[in-house]
Amino acid sequence: MVGGGAPQRGSAAATASMRRRKPAGGSSSAGGGAAGTMLQFYTDDAPGLKISPNVVLIMSIGFIAFVAVLHVMGKLYFVKSK
Amino acid sequence: MVGGFRVIHLVRPFLAFLPEVQSPERKIPFREKVIYTVITLFIFLVCSQLPLYGIHSTTGADPFYWMHVILASSRGTVMELGITPIVTSGMVIQLLAGSKIIEIDNNVREDRALLNGAQKLLGIIIAVGQAVAYVLSGMYGSVGELGVGNAVLIIVQLCFAAIIVLCLDELLQKGYGLGSGISLFIATNICESIIWKAFSPTTINSGHGAQFEGACIALFHLLITRTDKVRALREAFFRQSLPNVTNLLATVLIFLIVIYFQGFRVVLPVRSKNTRGQQGSYPIKLFYTSNMPIILQSALVSNIYFISQILYRKFGGNFLVNLIGTWKESEYSGQSIPVGGIAYYITAPSSLAEMATHPFHGLFYLVFMLGACALFSKTWIEVSGSSAKDVAKQLREQQMVMPGHRDSNLQKELNRYIPTAAALGGLCIGALTVLADLMGAIGSGTGILLAVTIIYQYFETVEKEKASELGFFGL
Repeated sequence: MVGGGAPQRGSAAATASMRRRKPAGGSSSAGGGAAGTMLQFYTDDAPGLKISPNVVLIMSIGFIAFVAVLHVMGKLYFVKSK
Repeated sequence: MVGGFRVIHLVRPFLAFLPEVQSPERKIPFREKVIYTVITLFIFLVCSQLPLYGIHSTTGADPFYWMHVILASSRGTVMELGITPIVTSGMVIQLLAGSKIIEIDNNVREDRALLNGAQKLLGIIIAVGQAVAYVLSGMYGSVGELGVGNAVLIIVQLCFAAIIVLCLDELLQKGYGLGSGISLFIATNICESIIWKAFSPTTINSGHGAQFEGACIALFHLLITRTDKVRALREAFFRQSLPNVTNLLATVLIFLIVIYFQGFRVVLPVRSKNTRGQQGSYPIKLFYTSNMPIILQSALVSNIYFISQILYRKFGGNFLVNLIGTWKESEYSGQSIPVGGIAYYITAPSSLAEMATHPFHGLFYLVFMLGACALFSKTWIEVSGSSAKDVAKQLREQQMVMPGHRDSNLQKELNRYIPTAAALGGLCIGALTVLADLMGAIGSGTGILLAVTIIYQYFETVEKEKASELGFFGL
C-alpha cells in the first residue's frame, strides 16, 4: 500500500490491491452479506414512489416539527377548554 | 399456486404508492456517508425522545417491556413501535418465501421488486395494525378518555413514524450511509442502556439508604461512604434488583467472547480464471449470518408475547389461551410477566439459581433458543441470497475458480461449508445469548449480542470503506 521504489513493485502492488479487493467484494455480497443486507432482500430499484434521500431527511424533520407544533398547540389552546 | 395465480401479484397495485429511495447515481464518498448516517441517527434519537401528542398516560399494560431495548422503541414516544414493523414483516416474508408459500424466482427482476414491495407493504400494514391495537387496548388511556380525534392522531403519528423508519433504513442500505438503519438503531439503543446502567447518577431508595442506580458510580459511592469496606464491596458486586458490578463484568466478558468468535472462519482459496497467478481468498465466517438469527428470534418471541397478552386479558381461563401463556403483574414495576404456558418457557430464567429450581424451564429455554437460532440461520441464507448456490454463481460471475476443483464442483464444495457454518453459527449465537442471560449481562443476552455483532459489522464496514477509498485515490 505504501508506494515502493522498484519498478517491479508496480505489478506487485496492483496484484496486492486486487487481492485485497476481491475478497472484500466477495464478502460484501456474501460473507457479511447475509447480515449486511439485513432485512432488505434486494437493493435494486423497484417501481414505486421515487424519493431522493434529502426528501426522506426533510420529511422526517418535518414530521418531528409537526408533532412538536401539535404539542405546543395543545398546550396553548386545548388546556383552557378543560 | 392455483392456476397461475400467485399471491405475490396482489402487491402489484400498491407498488406505485410505496415510497422508494432512489439508488445513488454516483459513488457516495465516505465523508458524505458518515454525514448521512449521523443525521439519520440524530433523527432517530430525537424521535425516541419526542412524546406522542394526545396520550394521557403510559401506565397501561406493556407487552414489550423487556423487548424495548432490542426493538429500538421507547415508551410513550413517537418511536413507540421502533423497528418492530420492519422486522416482523421481514420475518413473515422470509418464512413465506422459505416455505415456498409464495414462490419467488430470484432471477426475475419483477419478482424481486414485488417481494421488496410486499415486505414494505406488510411492514406498513403491521404498523397500522399495531398502532390501532395499542390505542384500542387502552395503552395510552381508554379511547373514551382520549377522544376519537386524539386517538386517530396517535395512530397517524405512529404509522408515519414507522414509514419514516422504513425510509431511513432504506436510505442507509441503498448506499447513502453506513450499514443499515435497523442495526444502527438497535445498537444505539442498547449502548445507551448499557452506559446508563453503568453510570446512571439517579439515586434509588432501597431499604437502607439511597443507592445510585449506575453500577460503577454505586461501587465508588458505597466504598467511600460505608465504613465496612468488605461489605460495601459485596453490596456493590451482588446487590439485587439494581445493576451491579458483576453484571457489568459479565457484559464486558460477553463482549470479548463474541469479538473473539468473530475471527473464526474457513478461508477457501480462489483463483482468477483469466489472469494467471492472481490469488484470492473467500472467507466463510463462523457467524455467517451474524446477528440475523437473534433478530428473527426476538421478533418471534415479541410477537408471541404480544398476542398471548392480548388473548390472556380477553379470554383468560380458556385452556388454549393459558397454554400459550399466563401473565401476572410484577410487584416491582407493575409490568406483566409470563408465569405459565409457552410464553413462560421461552423467557430466560432470571438467574442460575432460578434455573436450578426450575430445571425443565431452563432446559426448554435452552433447547428453544439453540433450535430457533440454528433454524432461522439456515433458512435465512436461502432467503437472503447467500446460500451455496448464490455464492457459487457470484464467484463464477467474477471468473473465480477454486484450484483443484472443477467449475461444476464449486457449488458442491461451497455446500460443504456454508450450511454448516450457518447452522453452527446460529447455534453459537444462541448459546452465547443464553450464557449472557444467565450471567445477567446488562441489556439482556439478546441485546448485548446484537450490539456486539452490529458494532463489529460497523468496524468492518468502515475499514472496507476506507480501504476502497484509499485504493480509489491511490491508483
